[in-house]
Amino acid sequence: MLEIIIHGRGGQGAQTAGNLLAQAFFREGKQVQSFATYGGARRGTPVNSMIRIDDKPIRLRCDIERADAILCFDRSLLDARLLHWADRDTMIVVNSAGLRENYSSLGDYRIYPIDGVALSQDHELGRIVNSALLGAFCCLLGSPALDTMSTTILEAAPVKQKRNVAACRAGFEAAMRQFVRNEPIREAEAR
Amino acid sequence: MMKMSSTKTLLTGNHAVAWGARLARPKFIACYPITPQTPILEKLTDFHMAGELDAEILTPESEHSAMAACISASLTGVRVFTATSCQGLLLMHEMLHYASGARAPIVMFNVNRTVASPWAFWPDQTDSVSQRDTGWIQLYSESGQESLDSVMQAFRIAEQVVNPVLVNQDAFYISHALEPVEVPAQETVDRYLPPFHPEHVLDPERGESLGNVVSPEMFCQHRKDIGQAMQLAIAVAQESDAEWERLVGRGYGIIEPYCCEGAELVIVTMGSMCGTVRHTVDEMRARGRSVGLLKVRLFRPFPVEAVRDALAGIPDVLVLDRNFSPGTGGVLHQELKSALYGMTDAPRMHGYLAGVGGVNVPPGKIEEFVDQVRRNEPAIHSVWTG
Repeated sequence: MLEIIIHGRGGQGAQTAGNLLAQAFFREGKQVQSFATYGGARRGTPVNSMIRIDDKPIRLRCDIERADAILCFDRSLLDARLLHWADRDTMIVVNSAGLRENYSSLGDYRIYPIDGVALSQDHELGRIVNSALLGAFCCLLGSPALDTMSTTILEAAPVKQKRNVAACRAGFEAAMRQFVRNEPIREAEAR
Repeated sequence: MMKMSSTKTLLTGNHAVAWGARLARPKFIACYPITPQTPILEKLTDFHMAGELDAEILTPESEHSAMAACISASLTGVRVFTATSCQGLLLMHEMLHYASGARAPIVMFNVNRTVASPWAFWPDQTDSVSQRDTGWIQLYSESGQESLDSVMQAFRIAEQVVNPVLVNQDAFYISHALEPVEVPAQETVDRYLPPFHPEHVLDPERGESLGNVVSPEMFCQHRKDIGQAMQLAIAVAQESDAEWERLVGRGYGIIEPYCCEGAELVIVTMGSMCGTVRHTVDEMRARGRSVGLLKVRLFRPFPVEAVRDALAGIPDVLVLDRNFSPGTGGVLHQELKSALYGMTDAPRMHGYLAGVGGVNVPPGKIEEFVDQVRRNEPAIHSVWTG
């Protein structure tokens, strides 16, 4: 079973991202469970979306205690409280313009900063970062396939469908370039 | 079994409930929104706007008024649905007694949430278990699929025994969990739930009346009748579940013993925690630990005989209560002690308050509870867990 936490602030789209990710895995034939926990979410307060993916039906009805992967929408939330759900093997993608080295002080974690805001602004999506971050997350997680994620976003996005798909693909490509092919980061990206 | 097309799709528990309500073809819905129930009402009004739900939807000023409207509508002989959660259910309390007294076969869905004060939104079943004496039949669901299926079954039970039914699912773990749900075809549901034509209805043409002033003997007789309907509800709930299973291939029973055969210890619980216990039982069984789960799905009427049969010969029983009755402890623990009282070789009964206020209960904790129980003599009262 794959267990994923998407962490963000109310209004940033973490819950939507969780549901989109679950839909993409479901489309690939997986069993999924995606739920949000919040104490009456308000704009700006931390919210969690928890996603489980498995080949067999999922019966667990409890919070995830240790995540296989974390997608953090807001770098100000990447601290000890969030890392409580992580260990050395947890793949952590954070929406940040910073470099990996900037996060080494947090400990021995696999942290991958992706500049979701820059990618979204490139596609005229303002601060709506979930499509770009989902693209990067899929790349580093190895699934669901980029085409599945793109199709899911295309069908689910209420507006600007094509721009969201392009942002998702750009996020995937950025993660591929920075962390898979390990190409040196360009100055413009290291803001 | 006649095959009719159903659709498997991703739905939250709340939207699964709305689908269940839509398929049951209610003619009247009076509903007041409350977190975490609101998506049920939102989805029903979406269906209504799209012309897919031929019902009158009333949104009154409070839950008390919503239930009052549901009772009146039900007594005119139409199928009635409503949904609520915690404070809303409690505001209805007076009307809940009235509905069962008036023998109004309303189906209501409740999303279990912590009762104020203090204010919170976490899963906790105190809201509905505290309504156990109102004369409503009560079911507890483990998944969005079961919630949808239970709405179907609830209407069949309610209309056969002429008593209202309350179906419950836990906040967030079910209400807000997106998961695969099979939505049955309308023809399947129409075969299962024929149009509702009760014997007694409020109709100016016929001149019947309901709820008059009565003598003590008449009142007492009325309560006996409700009691008989409740006892009948056990067999009707079993039959309704079996018939649904015949039609769609999914049945749940009024209780479900899971891996109880030869178990040294059986965990008894209700609602979403059954899923986590089921998972834990599989993991422990794989390591040679003989544990089982007894899921209580029908809480009112409490299926005493079925529970006794399921637990006969089990050395230890651990009840997990996601509710708290101050001065007593866990309500399910209390029910189980009462159900097994006087039974020859009754199991040792341990009651743990686990998950009260939405405290997380993962498999690791359940395994710890099992180890504690095997080491300790049972306490008379329910025991708090962290």
